[in-house]
Amino acid sequence: MPMPEPILSVKALKKIFGGLLALSDVSFSVAEGEIYGVIGPNGAGKTTLFSCLVGSLPPTSGSILFRGREIAGLPNYAVVARGLVSTHQIARPFRDMTVEANVSIGAHFGAGRRRGADARRRVADILERTGLGARAGSLAMALPIGDLKRLEIARALATEPAVLCLDEVMGGLNPSEIVAAMSLVRAIRDSGLTVLMIEHHVHAVAGVTDRILVLNFGEMIAEGVPRDVLRNPEVVAAYLGDDAGAA
Amino acid sequence: MKAFPWVAGAALGVLALAAPLVLERGTLNDVWSLAFAVILASAWNLLGGFAGQVSLGYSAFLGIGAYATVLLSLRGMNPFLTLPLGAALAAAFSVLIGLPAFRLRGPYFTIATIGVGEVVRVCASSVSFTGGSSGLRMPPGTFDFTLNYLSMVALAIAVVALAAFVKRSAFGQALAAIRQDIDAAEALGIDSTRFKLAAHALSAALVAVAGGLYAINFQYIAPGSVFDFRLSLSIVLMPIVGGVGTIAGPVLGALVFSTLQIKLLSIPALRDSYLFIYGTLLIVVMLFEPKGILGLVRRVFNRRLRRFYADA
Repeated sequence: MPMPEPILSVKALKKIFGGLLALSDVSFSVAEGEIYGVIGPNGAGKTTLFSCLVGSLPPTSGSILFRGREIAGLPNYAVVARGLVSTHQIARPFRDMTVEANVSIGAHFGAGRRRGADARRRVADILERTGLGARAGSLAMALPIGDLKRLEIARALATEPAVLCLDEVMGGLNPSEIVAAMSLVRAIRDSGLTVLMIEHHVHAVAGVTDRILVLNFGEMIAEGVPRDVLRNPEVVAAYLGDDAGAA
Repeated sequence: MKAFPWVAGAALGVLALAAPLVLERGTLNDVWSLAFAVILASAWNLLGGFAGQVSLGYSAFLGIGAYATVLLSLRGMNPFLTLPLGAALAAAFSVLIGLPAFRLRGPYFTIATIGVGEVVRVCASSVSFTGGSSGLRMPPGTFDFTLNYLSMVALAIAVVALAAFVKRSAFGQALAAIRQDIDAAEALGIDSTRFKLAAHALSAALVAVAGGLYAINFQYIAPGSVFDFRLSLSIVLMPIVGGVGTIAGPVLGALVFSTLQIKLLSIPALRDSYLFIYGTLLIVVMLFEPKGILGLVRRVFNRRLRRFYADA
């Protein structure tokens, strides 16, 4: 398959915490407009990978090319300013601020750097798209888990990224909320963004992603279209244990 | 309703500025002290309250402003023209100490600032051009009480207005985000170090101007007075007791503090006990109303309001 110039290209990315090899030699590319899934068992290094991509953790070595420019080692805020943003696995809202104020932080200080009425329009639009319109005036601390996940997405969208990394935005949601979240992810892609997503919910990932990367103990064990990857014996073994893989 | 604090604040400001026409010198001195306390508390609140970076080193900026004014006045400058220079010097110094100190978080940052304040005090007492521990006197003919009074009150009004403006601005919003979750703030594009440095520099400059005015009014400064650690402590206590991170809170705290200090200082046996009383007040506030006096007022007021509507 002929690939266009990738928007994000990761080469030999490595992250070591003390004596623990959290990511070893991870390399992959994501094309513009793709929905790219990252799956793996607990502790596989998925969130560490996202943290290294956006710069909230410095990678030990390796290269991250975003729109053709090296961003490995840049601080988080600088990566966000270039158009690559990630949500938090455990929602981290500004609790004493309203939903609207939370989202406007992204609009003011992200890649868009909008001010005044321009920022307010943008925030209102995002709140509408993420289904938080009715919650605009509520304090973030009063939100239920589903809305907190949406708020994470809304804030990240408000920074006007080219690539949006979603870290388990479907965790803790009920089945109907998951369906809604899946269509939100598709809508985000259709609006012109590239999406990377970590997800535990394998059916949700398979239903929405174009390609999947599988991590296990910090190593890539498979990459490809969901139906192939999910049948890969090594992937099955990683998820269900070696015996199941052998059977 | 929303305009009320502004109208009340503006009216108080005008009254304070007009006070020299009717009030006697002793009372004006008390208002001067209140204005001085309001500036220190509100300026500290820009970094400590809005951005949540609790610094215990603010006497350094007060002292830098005071020493800049006296040293430059002794070299023939108009004392009031020295104020912006003292402010610039304090702002530059705040950046210098902020660059390493802002790498630390929470209590570690606070501890580092205690060290900075003490180092500055020791330096000022040991080098000769500051007059060492015996201090410095302003050149004669630089005292004009009415002018001192008006400039301190005007600065207090300006600082409170500036704080209100900052709180509503995008800058204030970034500081609030940093206070609530610094990592989440960075993840949305906020360069937290830059914003903390800016808030630090702004508040340091304002405190330095107050320090310069202090020197002009008292005509004499020494490391033991302007670089005193107890001063740094008072600067922190006022906004916390009044209501940290708010506009009216530091003003209320300053009012409580300067009243206590004036009343207690007039009793010789209790000269130094105001810190003890203030410490007790602080513990009570922390235990029962962490949002300070302002939080208490709001709570009581809201309850009254609810009861009023329930009865009606």
